Amino acid sequence: MLKKFYEDMAKVLETQYEQRPRAFTKINIELAKSFVDAFKEDAKVIWTSYYSFPMELLAAFDVAPFDFEVATNLLPMLDADGSVQIMSRAEEEGYSTDLCSFHRLAMGCQLLGYMPRADLLLSSSYFCDGKARINQILAGYYGKEALTLDIPNRIDKESMAYVIEQLKYIAHRIEEVAGQKLDPERLRESVSASGLARKAYIRLAEIQKEKPFPWNGSTAVNMSIFGNLMAGRPVQERLYQELVDECRGKLDSGKVPPEQYRVLWLAWFPPQPTNITEIFRKNGVNIVMGELERAFWDEMDDRHPWESMALWSLKNPYVGPIEQRLNGIMQSIEEYDIDGVIHFSSDACRHSCAAHRLIADALQKMNVPFMVLEGDMSDKRKYSEDRTRFLLESFIDVMAGRK
Amino acid sequence: MAVSSGKIGYLCSLVPEEIILAAGMKPVRIKGEAEATSDADSYLYHNLCPYIKNIMSTALAGQVRYLDGIVFARSCDGMRRMYDAWKSYMGMGLVYMLEVPKNTDERAVSYFASQLKDFALNLGGAFRKHITPASLRTAIQTTGQLRRSMQRIFALQQSATLPVAGSDLFKTGLGALGEDRGDALKRIDELYQQARTASAIRSNSRKVRILVSGNVMDRSDLFEIVEAAGAEIPAADLCTGLRYFSRNVDVAEDDPYLALAQAYLNEPHCSRTASPVQRAQELQKLVETYSIDGVLLTSLKFCDQHLYDVPYITRVLADKNIPVLFLENDYTFTNKGQMKVRIEAFIEVLSERGN
Repeated sequence: MLKKFYEDMAKVLETQYEQRPRAFTKINIELAKSFVDAFKEDAKVIWTSYYSFPMELLAAFDVAPFDFEVATNLLPMLDADGSVQIMSRAEEEGYSTDLCSFHRLAMGCQLLGYMPRADLLLSSSYFCDGKARINQILAGYYGKEALTLDIPNRIDKESMAYVIEQLKYIAHRIEEVAGQKLDPERLRESVSASGLARKAYIRLAEIQKEKPFPWNGSTAVNMSIFGNLMAGRPVQERLYQELVDECRGKLDSGKVPPEQYRVLWLAWFPPQPTNITEIFRKNGVNIVMGELERAFWDEMDDRHPWESMALWSLKNPYVGPIEQRLNGIMQSIEEYDIDGVIHFSSDACRHSCAAHRLIADALQKMNVPFMVLEGDMSDKRKYSEDRTRFLLESFIDVMAGRK
Repeated sequence: MAVSSGKIGYLCSLVPEEIILAAGMKPVRIKGEAEATSDADSYLYHNLCPYIKNIMSTALAGQVRYLDGIVFARSCDGMRRMYDAWKSYMGMGLVYMLEVPKNTDERAVSYFASQLKDFALNLGGAFRKHITPASLRTAIQTTGQLRRSMQRIFALQQSATLPVAGSDLFKTGLGALGEDRGDALKRIDELYQQARTASAIRSNSRKVRILVSGNVMDRSDLFEIVEAAGAEIPAADLCTGLRYFSRNVDVAEDDPYLALAQAYLNEPHCSRTASPVQRAQELQKLVETYSIDGVLLTSLKFCDQHLYDVPYITRVLADKNIPVLFLENDYTFTNKGQMKVRIEAFIEVLSERGN
């Protein structure tokens, strides 16, 4: 079922691209094709998390990376009701509705036999406990090995050494699964490509400071998650640069709609259909930056690929004490001339939601309006359009009162 | 500065209390004392584990002011956030986050040992105490003695006639986590003597034997419901039960920090330190060791570590013909009535299987 879904998705996107070549369409084609590749008989399929595992390492091998969270949670975009049915299969098995809808959907797909084969399952200890856990459970069902890249809460000599050792061990396990030795030169090239992509990504972040904001904010937030699929491959830099050029072209044409309010988006943007974008469009609100979208990591140093990958993990805003997250939020507020901050709160994202008070207090000191928007990422049963409209319109009133 | 109590609170069984003892201080496993947790909701999140919220409420009510410091473990997402909130909103001499690896291999053990040294340095630095290898070894011996005493009772609990009621054993263990180690040892030894005497008595009637497995439990309500329904609990695989007391630290190891790291990251595992596959295997071992008829899995609401495991473990145990009942709890067991009905039905099913 999923294989057909991705094949159709790739075809539709390719037609779209032929008619209207856009970088973001191309990124989605890359994504759909990577999922199709995971179903190939001869593929060495490594399950992973694009957004929390250094993909540069996988790019140094001939393997098919498959992110079960991203892959399955594309479904609600097109079929929210069908996705609920799939989640219900997991719920029948005993997975509580208190658990993340991303994971119930992935588990439902597994129980229904929709998933590709797994040869090795990788995950990381962040963003949440659930992700690594579900990875281990899926490994149990497949009789395969699950490895968790454990990322400590602090950055020091010991934690760096610990993360690097783990990455080297994981590389060794990939070598065994892939039947291929790691080529240090290929890893260096991968990290180098990622470094160049980071520079393009920063150029994109720079252009997002322009007024009015020249592209789609929710798309940008989501791309910060799945764009990482391409990390370690030259295509990432090329497509990010194309996005920069497209934004520049829009600004130069003077056709970008005027904006009233600039919002910083915290946590995730739901993939399921919502009325958020429509409300924002009608009221001239742009999400100009997402906290996960910020280039939080240092320049990649291809002379030290392991250190670069380790630091990429350790510097994630969702790792470490809350200050690591708050500093990024405060920096974005200053850099992007933010009128208000919205935290999208999916109930099961406990790691993120449990910081509401700390974020609210920090923003109050900065005199920046803050709102918690409760909803769900993929489960339409837990999302209310009316409530969202009421909350967002009230928040827009607050921002308007300060103009 | 307030008068020092010499007491250091901790919240997770993965915090080695030996280090606190080695500093000449008293480790206290903190319990939630609040009946309602609505005040914690404004600092944390309503869908967070009720244990964490209860601790927060207890602290907000000023009931842990007697502590000189508190040690968190990077045990789960909720604990990480409570640590952040505690640092910001609670004044305390030392608020320390112990880095506990998610993995248990050699790399993780070695890293954990380095973090335990860091903890010892911070604890010593904050209270002007010097933790030496010798003082740490003494603390390991003291704690080991306590654990071994409890393990002797666990061994007796494997016999066909249960010498100690599960609720009594649980309460004795729970008490030991908060009191002076000497007093605790005395009480455990007394219980052991009673158990020895009782184990010599043979009974012809066999009760249904239930293994309780879950996370943190600081109240004995569940035990009492099971026992009132006519079954017995030979073992409780809980953070505050078997898992704490079954740990053995190798006192002969040259590096005591490494010995602690090995012991705390390895068996017996909890859902934090083992995959659900390992957890299911370890539960099967306990079922065999204690001649268990059925497993009562219980978890705090919103505890992702456990809630994700439950369907997988249930399926694995069911495949081995081991009946499982799963009950969520809210830490204070306000849903006792519902639990009672389901537990009685479960015991009835198990009784019929046994006949």
